Amino acid sequence: MSKLFKYLSAAVLVLLAVTGCQKDFLDRKPEGRLTFEEFFQTEAHAIEATNAVYAQYREFDMCALPYLSCTDILSDDADKGSTLNDAPLISDLDNFTLDATNPYVAPVYRGHYRAIARANLAIENIPNIDMDATLRSRLVGECKLLRAYSYLLLVQWFGDLPLITKTLQGDEYYSQTRQDKSLVYDQIEADLKEAIGVLPDKNGYAQADKGRATKAAAQGLLAKLYMIKKDWANAEIQCMDIINSTQYSLLPKYADNFLPVGENGAESIFEMQSVALPTQQAAGPGSSPYNMVQGVRGIPNLGWGFNRPSDNLVSAYENGDPRREATIIYVGEILPDGSTQVQDNPEIINERFNQKAWVPNHPGLQDNGPGNLRVLRYADILLLAAEAKNEQGKAGEALPLLNLVRKRARGTNNFILPDVTVTDQSMLRERIYRERRVELAMEQHRWFDLLRWGRAAQVLQAAGKTNFVAGKHELLPIPQTEVDLTSGRIVQNPMY
Amino acid sequence: MKHFYKKICLLAGFIGLLASASWAQTRVTGRVLDEAAGEAVIGATVLEKGTSNGTITDYDGKFAITVKDLKATLVINYTGYTSKDVPLNGQTTIEVRLTEDEGILEEIVVVGYGVQRKSDLTGAVGIVKAKELERVPTASLEQALQGKLAGVYISPASGEPGAGATIRIRGTGTLNNASPLYVVDGMLLDDISFLNPQDVASVEVLKDASSTAIYGNRGANGVIIITTKRGLTDTKASFTLNTYYGTQQIAKKLPLANASQFAEMYNELKGNNYYPDPAALREGTDWQDVIFRDAPMANVQLGVGGLWKKLNYNLSGNMFDQQGIMEETSFRRYTGRVNLEYPVLKSLRVGTNMAYSNYKYNTVGGGVLGGMYRMPPVFAARDSTGDFTDPTFFGQSIGNPAADLFYKNDQYSRVNRWVGSVYANWTFLKHFTFRTNYGFDRRRDYFYGFEPVFMVSSSQLNNEERTARDTAKIQNWLWENTLTFDKTWDILRLNVLAGQTAQEYTFNKRRTINEILQPNGEENSDWAMLSYLGRVNATFYDRYLLTASVRADGSSRFNKKNRWGYFPSVAAGWNVSQEPFMRGFKLFDRLKLRASWGITGNDKIQNYPSLGIITPELYGAFNDTIQSGATLTNYANADVRWETTEQTDFGVEFGLFKGKFTAEIDWFRRYTYDILGDLPIPDYVGSGSNPFVNAAQVENVGWDFTVNWREVKRKFSYNLGVTVSPIENKVLKLNDGKSEIFEARTGQGDFATRTVVGLPIGAFYGYQVAGVFQNQEEIDSSPKFGNEKPGDFRFADLNGDGKLSADDRTYLGSPIPTLIYGLNAGFEAFGFDLAVDFFGVKGNKVVNAKAVSRFDTPNWETIWYDNHWTGEGTSNSVPRVTNGGHNYRMSDFLVEDGAFFRLRTVAVGYSLPTKWLDHAHIRDARLYASGTNLWTKQAYSGYTPEFPNDSVFKAGMDFLNYPMAKTILFGLNVTF
Repeated sequence: MSKLFKYLSAAVLVLLAVTGCQKDFLDRKPEGRLTFEEFFQTEAHAIEATNAVYAQYREFDMCALPYLSCTDILSDDADKGSTLNDAPLISDLDNFTLDATNPYVAPVYRGHYRAIARANLAIENIPNIDMDATLRSRLVGECKLLRAYSYLLLVQWFGDLPLITKTLQGDEYYSQTRQDKSLVYDQIEADLKEAIGVLPDKNGYAQADKGRATKAAAQGLLAKLYMIKKDWANAEIQCMDIINSTQYSLLPKYADNFLPVGENGAESIFEMQSVALPTQQAAGPGSSPYNMVQGVRGIPNLGWGFNRPSDNLVSAYENGDPRREATIIYVGEILPDGSTQVQDNPEIINERFNQKAWVPNHPGLQDNGPGNLRVLRYADILLLAAEAKNEQGKAGEALPLLNLVRKRARGTNNFILPDVTVTDQSMLRERIYRERRVELAMEQHRWFDLLRWGRAAQVLQAAGKTNFVAGKHELLPIPQTEVDLTSGRIVQNPMY
Repeated sequence: MKHFYKKICLLAGFIGLLASASWAQTRVTGRVLDEAAGEAVIGATVLEKGTSNGTITDYDGKFAITVKDLKATLVINYTGYTSKDVPLNGQTTIEVRLTEDEGILEEIVVVGYGVQRKSDLTGAVGIVKAKELERVPTASLEQALQGKLAGVYISPASGEPGAGATIRIRGTGTLNNASPLYVVDGMLLDDISFLNPQDVASVEVLKDASSTAIYGNRGANGVIIITTKRGLTDTKASFTLNTYYGTQQIAKKLPLANASQFAEMYNELKGNNYYPDPAALREGTDWQDVIFRDAPMANVQLGVGGLWKKLNYNLSGNMFDQQGIMEETSFRRYTGRVNLEYPVLKSLRVGTNMAYSNYKYNTVGGGVLGGMYRMPPVFAARDSTGDFTDPTFFGQSIGNPAADLFYKNDQYSRVNRWVGSVYANWTFLKHFTFRTNYGFDRRRDYFYGFEPVFMVSSSQLNNEERTARDTAKIQNWLWENTLTFDKTWDILRLNVLAGQTAQEYTFNKRRTINEILQPNGEENSDWAMLSYLGRVNATFYDRYLLTASVRADGSSRFNKKNRWGYFPSVAAGWNVSQEPFMRGFKLFDRLKLRASWGITGNDKIQNYPSLGIITPELYGAFNDTIQSGATLTNYANADVRWETTEQTDFGVEFGLFKGKFTAEIDWFRRYTYDILGDLPIPDYVGSGSNPFVNAAQVENVGWDFTVNWREVKRKFSYNLGVTVSPIENKVLKLNDGKSEIFEARTGQGDFATRTVVGLPIGAFYGYQVAGVFQNQEEIDSSPKFGNEKPGDFRFADLNGDGKLSADDRTYLGSPIPTLIYGLNAGFEAFGFDLAVDFFGVKGNKVVNAKAVSRFDTPNWETIWYDNHWTGEGTSNSVPRVTNGGHNYRMSDFLVEDGAFFRLRTVAVGYSLPTKWLDHAHIRDARLYASGTNLWTKQAYSGYTPEFPNDSVFKAGMDFLNYPMAKTILFGLNVTF
């Protein structure tokens, strides 16, 4: 028996030797990666988490085909572009024959909610980090601005929204409902006001941080919100605050705004930042596909050729307005860098390209786009200010602002674009509207302006988009998958 | 020959030298013969009575077995013969003559952590022996098993060289990876692509919980135990040569529009006469002819096995080369195997099973298959000047697949892999055995791809030479320690097992392009498992059987609080035919009833489902430089826990007519709860991926019938077998208050499946086609989406609200077959043998998802051409020509019948007569020819209604896969 005992105890010892390390043995995490519990501990984490929110805006869904399909292509500024059969379902947006399964609508919805989720996470966790207090509140302010920007786009596209302002937990995933858009507006306003309180002026950033969200960017977005709400007085206050700060001015040459030289320049209030570093791979770190999808298709082969400036846009300019040339690349035109001439592509009817998305070079491949997406320019603010003032019967104050924009466009050629002098409110309104269109064409503002002005049906039907149904197409459909996944708790927009 | 043999001995000798001088155990050799005919009985089992120690006779009926001492008794068994107990009484050489007729099936079956007599089994275990596998050579073992076992559904699906197969044992009880666990010589694995089927001695498929619960952690989807060949127990070395050569060709082509049909449709699409005379274009190019070819495959296997002194050895080397039926694709595998066992002491045996394999897949970059499917037939591969045709002037961004084949063929994946185990078996105090087994799977996966600079068109070009390299280091070890107590009393055989195991897996991968590490190019992952197990097998009076087991598993995949899973099982069996009251009852020569119940688990999901992992490389891009960025983008679920399957099984096995007729019938219910799934969550949550949740409860209820007739006459023998498995899959509950799960998107982004309570998992879901709109008036007066034009599908307004919306979708069928069946027959006479295997499924639907592409449809299948709408009154079943949009919504137009019946294999062989071979010292030689997939009856328009998709939701969706090949082989097996 003692022999048996000896054997058994030896066996037990072997088992114990292995199991003794059981605690460590079963605790696993991937090598070289942090877990959530280890993150949001240091100042570096706070900066990284904020940078990650910015990074989301360079995603394809956020700046390429889905984004352009739901902005310029919906409006009368642009058609689908590229060849007839390339991505034909974008035409359903162009022509308002879309339904809730359109594959270009879901990505903008998804993409912006991902940005919001990243911002929520940062806003929740950065305040608990032991770090420089000024930097901490600035980072939270940046995230709040970005969250507000995404909600501002989403609420204009979709109307009422699930209003997610914190990281959802598992039991909350399927239970959200759409909140009245006024609540979304309130959230945007609150976020932007907080951002205004903590964000620095553009000169308040170190050189290495050039391009981060500024106080003026928050003010500009807030002005846009007030314009949507037709709160003209508050919109005017925000715009005039930016104008009176004298940090911004119009660039002498309109076209420079869209060249590398104009990036984060005197006229730039907010841009989604991209950079194309030399790379061996398709898309380098920091790059965006914004330039690629709109680049010249064919010869020279710079891109895919989507978002074609429309016939309607071509004829929207006053005679001799140089902004048309600065906005549109035609066949036969020599590219702005003088490199080559655009050749005819027989498969593309009325071939044109968006010059504002043109960049002189992509290191590596097309995917590696360097161009910043211009979100807010000073000219935009001047025109918003003019519009707000005119709506309040202050035509006299509006005119100089409007004429500043025209004067810059005119340059040294005094035969074109004369100053506007009309003071009748509705006539001036028309002049401001027309100026906004040509000044900001192909910069993804037109669709939202038409909505804000209540003119989408009238203007787009007149522009040949006869399928546009008033009362329906002012809103995009909520992606069908969202309705399906919540078993209808997320209600579809009317008539879809 | 003798010279060669000496060399082999010398080679093996060094291992022998490692051993100490003690040759303590006793070796017994012998021969088993048929009493009547005096011929050798091949494959009879020889078992040392009262132990699990056993062996099998070789081609000459010879065997050798190492026994404790010469007082032991050997039990000899063979199907159709009476079992015989032979006391050794001091002899070391014996001859045993078996008598026919009172055939009691007594076989040794490999079960988890041990072996058992088949008559003592309480579980449902399917067995396939080497002889059946050798008849029809295949590249992978999985393919060889198709249709052979009831309740085991194997779909090879892809004709890709070296491809494995998808295996489902007793239905689909999970939402994620439903593949079974493989146990190769004791090593637990998920992937057996390294394995050379000709090294396999037997395959045991454990189906019910009584047999799988001992593998608790990964037993839920069934367990496949693979035992590789041991050396024959004969001092004379036995050499084997197996070789075959064959050719493969595409089994079925896709019905794609030809050039004139395409031109006609294109004109209709454009509304002009782009092609003025479509008929003149005739057939044009069938792009399938451009990319597919007849391809050879070849195999050579050399093996030697035997006993040298006391070292049992089996060595083999194999080269398998399969060219793909798609140009520029191929698979080549070299394998080497060393299986050794050596009795160091009387009580201590050590051994190793070691396989080295080096396999390489040559592949092509770009999308050759997709290009083939999309390429308009009006183009030739090259134009009149010899350049590759550029179809982009046509307005479509398709790559010419012939150009991809030409420029992108310099790429391959190569795997270098060692899989094996080292073990020691120590018997002490008579009845105790301690076994320690260290198994490992160490592999290096290497991918290389080179693309030269080339230009076919603006959408098919490469500006810069690119060399991509992926290197992955994958290591997996498993250490198992078990203690067994085994004792036989007069009335009781008792086997008690206790054990402990630990396993660890690590994965490290780096991806570079032109030697630069890619963003997120480094991937590291690991998991670990710790387990304790115990089992009792008791047999009373040779007829009352009882098995109980329990296993506890700790998985690193779950959070601390949910980490441990406990998996018990109990089973009972009754060998009715052994009862005294059955003695006079001659009808049954075997009758066994059994019942089992048990719980098994599944954690086969990603490695860190409960950990939020921070995503790095989300750069900020300020001031034209990048700043590092990171955050949580993929949400985790800290509460995720074990998926568990509760299985109940009732079975009956019986033999009639002196063992000629055998049948095994099982009824089972598999009830799986807390099913793990990464179900889609609404986009507003903002997670980049879907966290795993314990989502649903699913039930599989079915039957496994296996019926065999086998008759051995003096001049000939024949057998007939049928396996039938009806099964019903049903979702019982969805967790978290969900009423439905949408999954599986088509190219247009629609969900194709909706899982709800009461229907099978992943049931197809979409619109019903009610007809085709003939004119505008009809559209105006009918329910519609709003953008329909004459000639478009008129979908049924199922909810009757007068308009069409997502609410009008309905159940369109199930992707899961309700009946799986196989038929096999064999005949042997005068040295000739013939074997035929059929395999079929019924009751399932498939979705032709490849016909719905994301952007456009540059060419169409003939389902869109035949009988399509061209004007009022022309068709009410196929719509006008469009390329995407309304007519491509998920609807029953895309759903087809998935039933098929296939002549899986047919093989004819001739074994040369012994008298010719004897003077050449050849023991056995067989010449054969075999054909695989030669004939299939199927309703589906695509290549085959089986698809190699791991996801349960995509199981019935055809996203265009490498097509299946039919194969004809000629081979030779020689043993000398």
